[in-house]
Amino acid sequence: MTTPLITNLAAGILFLCLALPVAYLLMARTSDNAHATLAPLLRRVSSFIDGVNGLVGTAASWLTLLMVLVQAIVVIQRYVFGVNYIWMQESITYMHGILFMVAAGYTLLNNGHVRVDIFYREAPPKRKALTDLIGTYLFLIPVLCVIWVAAYPYVELSWIMKEGSTETSGIQAVYLLKAVILAFVVLLMLQAYSLAIRSALTLGSRDNDPAPGAATAPKV
Amino acid sequence: MGIGIDILMFATACLFLLAGYPVAFTLAGVGLLFAFIGVVFGFFDFSFVSLLPQRIFGTMTNTVLIAVPLFVFMGVMLERSKLAEELLTSMGKLFGTIRGGLGLSVTLVGALLAASTGIVGATVVTMGLLSLPTMLKRGYDVKLATGSIAAAGTLGQIIPPSIVLVLLGDVISNAYQSAQLAQGNFAPDAVSVGDLFAGALLPGLMLVGLYMTYQVYKAVSQPDSSPVIPPAELGETKDLFREIGAALLPPLTLIVAVLGSILSGIATPTEAAAIGALGALLLAGHRIGRSEKKSGLAITLAALSLGGMLLLSINVDLRLTRDEISPFEQNAIYLAFMLGAIATLGVLVSIARTVRSGVLQEVMKSTTQISSMVFVILIGAALFSLVFRGLGGDDSVSEVLNQMPGGVFGAMLVVMAAMFLLGFFLDFIEITFVVVPIVAPVLLMMGVDPIWLGVMMAINLQTSFLTPPFGFALFYLRGVAPDTVRTSEIYRGAIPFVIIQIFALAIIAGFPEIATWLPSVIY
Repeated sequence: MTTPLITNLAAGILFLCLALPVAYLLMARTSDNAHATLAPLLRRVSSFIDGVNGLVGTAASWLTLLMVLVQAIVVIQRYVFGVNYIWMQESITYMHGILFMVAAGYTLLNNGHVRVDIFYREAPPKRKALTDLIGTYLFLIPVLCVIWVAAYPYVELSWIMKEGSTETSGIQAVYLLKAVILAFVVLLMLQAYSLAIRSALTLGSRDNDPAPGAATAPKV
Repeated sequence: MGIGIDILMFATACLFLLAGYPVAFTLAGVGLLFAFIGVVFGFFDFSFVSLLPQRIFGTMTNTVLIAVPLFVFMGVMLERSKLAEELLTSMGKLFGTIRGGLGLSVTLVGALLAASTGIVGATVVTMGLLSLPTMLKRGYDVKLATGSIAAAGTLGQIIPPSIVLVLLGDVISNAYQSAQLAQGNFAPDAVSVGDLFAGALLPGLMLVGLYMTYQVYKAVSQPDSSPVIPPAELGETKDLFREIGAALLPPLTLIVAVLGSILSGIATPTEAAAIGALGALLLAGHRIGRSEKKSGLAITLAALSLGGMLLLSINVDLRLTRDEISPFEQNAIYLAFMLGAIATLGVLVSIARTVRSGVLQEVMKSTTQISSMVFVILIGAALFSLVFRGLGGDDSVSEVLNQMPGGVFGAMLVVMAAMFLLGFFLDFIEITFVVVPIVAPVLLMMGVDPIWLGVMMAINLQTSFLTPPFGFALFYLRGVAPDTVRTSEIYRGAIPFVIIQIFALAIIAGFPEIATWLPSVIY
């Protein structure tokens, strides 16, 4: 376990970083400095995060094809040849769990998380940005913090006992799969931060050019 | 303590949802907000939240839900392989010369697509782009045309295999288990996604029949509303049947294979979905090859080999792990291996073609985002429900439902009405994950049949796609309809079909056997 000092320090730094978009927004009205120095920095951070989650999501998307193929092979093995490998069946569960958890940030990047967009759809860019900014700070970031705090000991316990499958011939890596919850929090937190930055930049901009990002969401 | 705060929590969630921030995070955030309020005022124990990681991990390892990405993959792949377009044009030619035939062909194609892809947006968009212009050009009544297309698109939600039924099946089976445990039955009966698929089949077909009856009624009572295509414009009818056969056969085979294996109880929905997705991949590869003037031989052979393997395994014992295998069986096993190799080759060719044309990447991208969207809502709804329970919300709900005049009937009516109203502005996923887990156990404890309940709820949720002003099917149609079509016409066109939906709910409420008969015969 880390010492309380380091934990507190890390939390403090995290808090300061998270506050930056708001700080920019508060200064944007009065200070030219905010536009000259802070805005480009934030923009660079945002596009870096977008790049990371873009890569992660594209990589994860291949799991969908792999799931189809492996599940089809399992079906043929079972129904035609009467053989059954537990590790293969379990690997599909792993892929599924990893897929939607790891791709959560990527889905946010592409605005794929469904919204009730009765009012949002027609709203001007600045009002959309305000909704996103408030939602991110009021809902998303606190929720992710709570999930982290609740999940950390849960995952840690699993790591200490190197938790494996309940089946002896299964994949002995349940502790790794549980750690995906933490990866989910980190990747989604990064993307939430990027969304906050883009929203703040849109709100703070002096012209009426919308910042890129707000598109319509795909639905089932 | 806490009386009323649960209702406040639900109302707050609805209010914040309307702001338009992603549903998953809004639900979780409102849950957290009320957890804090509860802790501050001392009527909520925050340790409830420590159950959350276990819930998340449970979702990750839930094997029933694996069917969702597989069915989405299959559906998006079939959509991209232009299956719908071919079906529509050939069906339109077949029925076009009959009065009202264009509308009927829209409903039929909607039903076929529903049984193969089940993706509402894709179906409505395709038909809105292809059929609507044709219908308008012939002078179809605008309201009838748009209503038919929107309604046919929503059939994907109720005709199996459908994502709604998979999600509802999972939620209802959990609710059924807990309802029976609460009643002291420690060896509870199970209800599966397959049961729900079987239960929804006849009601789905009944809806198709009701839509078509309405269309015929309109064609007879107001002939001007449904004009015909002059036969002269259609060309040779001899080629027509071959064209229809070519367009119909591959998807029909796929539907029969996927649905048949689930309904006959041979395969689980997940297994059938994987085979369906593989078949869709082969179809797409074949289709792309055809447009590039390349040979479809490898893929046709692959499809035949898969069928051949199946036939062989039915007739000869091919199991590898046995002590005694006769020489004949040994040869059959070698043959099966060879067929497997051919199938693999065809799949690889399909993958190569779909990758080169960029179709596969698109399909994988959509599948990833849709899966993530669905399951992150499940996580958000889990946090919301944990807090809602912690505040005693489910007790108040069960109290209200138990005190309804009219007993089970009254409770069911209230739940259905509430879901119908929520459907005006919420998505089916939120209703499934937030409302159903709260109300279903109460209703099931009152002795409601789980399959019937699932089917009623599924039709109700399907209707939410059609209800103006916020039905998604109407949104999609608005997006692709020409500007000459007024939004108010689309809304008014949907109303008769919404009435048909309510009528169907009433029929199934009166005759539950429509939903429960098929599952009872099959399993």
